[in-house]
Amino acid sequence: MDPNRSTLPFREFSHRISLVFMLTLAAALLLLGRAETYVFDRARQVVTDLAAPLLEIASRPVAATRHIIERTDEYAYVFDENERLRAENARLLAWKEEAQKLQAKLARYEALLNVQIDPAINYASGRVVSDSGGPFVDTVLVNVGAEKGAKSGQAVVDTDGLIGRIVSTGPKASRVLLLTDLNSRVPVVIEPAHYKAVLAGDNTNWPKLEYLASQSAISPGDRVVTSGDGGLIPPGLPVGLVIQTSSGELRVQTFSDRGRLDFVRVLQYEFPSKVKRQDPPEVLGGPVEGEAAEADAAAPPVSAAQAARE
Amino acid sequence: MTVMPFAMGLACVLLAFVPFGRIFGSALTPAFPLMAIYYWAVVKPEMFPPVAVLAVGLMFDLLSGGAIGLWALVYVVTYAVVISQRMLLVNAPFSAFWIGFLATAVFAGFLAWVIVSVIHGIFVPPSSVVRHMAVTVAVFPIFAMLFGRIQTRVLQGG
Repeated sequence: MDPNRSTLPFREFSHRISLVFMLTLAAALLLLGRAETYVFDRARQVVTDLAAPLLEIASRPVAATRHIIERTDEYAYVFDENERLRAENARLLAWKEEAQKLQAKLARYEALLNVQIDPAINYASGRVVSDSGGPFVDTVLVNVGAEKGAKSGQAVVDTDGLIGRIVSTGPKASRVLLLTDLNSRVPVVIEPAHYKAVLAGDNTNWPKLEYLASQSAISPGDRVVTSGDGGLIPPGLPVGLVIQTSSGELRVQTFSDRGRLDFVRVLQYEFPSKVKRQDPPEVLGGPVEGEAAEADAAAPPVSAAQAARE
Repeated sequence: MTVMPFAMGLACVLLAFVPFGRIFGSALTPAFPLMAIYYWAVVKPEMFPPVAVLAVGLMFDLLSGGAIGLWALVYVVTYAVVISQRMLLVNAPFSAFWIGFLATAVFAGFLAWVIVSVIHGIFVPPSSVVRHMAVTVAVFPIFAMLFGRIQTRVLQGG
């Protein structure tokens, strides 16, 4: 028998009582927490901001270890890698030329059509300092907070593509909801046919495509990019590739590697709803004679389009 | 009650968020707080009272960004169950202690999965929680040894 039982009956009893009390309290917290009250949000921010510097320090040796392992791997394959990069470089140079031609062409078309060009997006760089820590949430902390201009809703990308969006910010750290989280929903477009869908995380490694039109013909290997619908996340950010699971379901393999998140950028994108109309450059301004009449004729549709945007 | 086990519990919460997964390229870190709770529930429950368990769980919830009270409730219930079965484990050999932890991890994982599924109203894919608990059980001996060292040091100090 437990020696404590005979020697310390009172302590045993109080332990029991406190256990029952804590059980009730925990259950009450679970119910209260569902209401997402201000107190919990505030507590969360305070705890997160306090823990972020500690986690940042703790994540340094991890990053260093990872760096050493990567380096060792790189040394082992340095010749193969060099060969591969040469071939890729040759291929990319051809693409570069193509891209430059297309860029020039596109700029001309945009000028001709008087397209509202997206303003340049500012960003703040930071590091992922924590892991999700639990099996049911896929969020990470980044050391970019409100002091650096981070706001709830902003998109977060790494070198490979979109990783998620910010859901809460403290002064020094923010929480990023990853694409794979149960609560993550991101409007996307599936190229090349431009089918729209919503990328929905479900706590697996491969998010689902929801609200996809039934007749849309997408196939594994198609590229998925953000659509910009809703105005929260800028359009055209690379997200991933369509894959087919063994059960025949179409899901998305994200470009960013969930297990290797390190440096990220928080995009401070603002939906261009209040952008002034851009006039075409002088050189493309059309024939000189009768310009006033033509400008009058062109004005109504442009202003209507602008009104629709606003 | 000494504060050492509680401090260890809190340290375990922080440890659970350190991105170790980055080294191996996988995202899941073990449930470090569960190890501390199980260890002290069996070895010396007076040193780790229920309020400490609740505090550790709540701290985890606040840091994880999930449902508030989820892990607080899971840990307190698991603690209560472990305390009720303590007699089986308290003087048992290490293998039995480890198997006891396996059962505890299965219980805690299942309970958490049920609660999350109820909250979201769908069957959450259980693969991530299974992996999470498997990793936890696998690394438990290392931490049990570490806690044992700390425990003897605290007792000697006392």
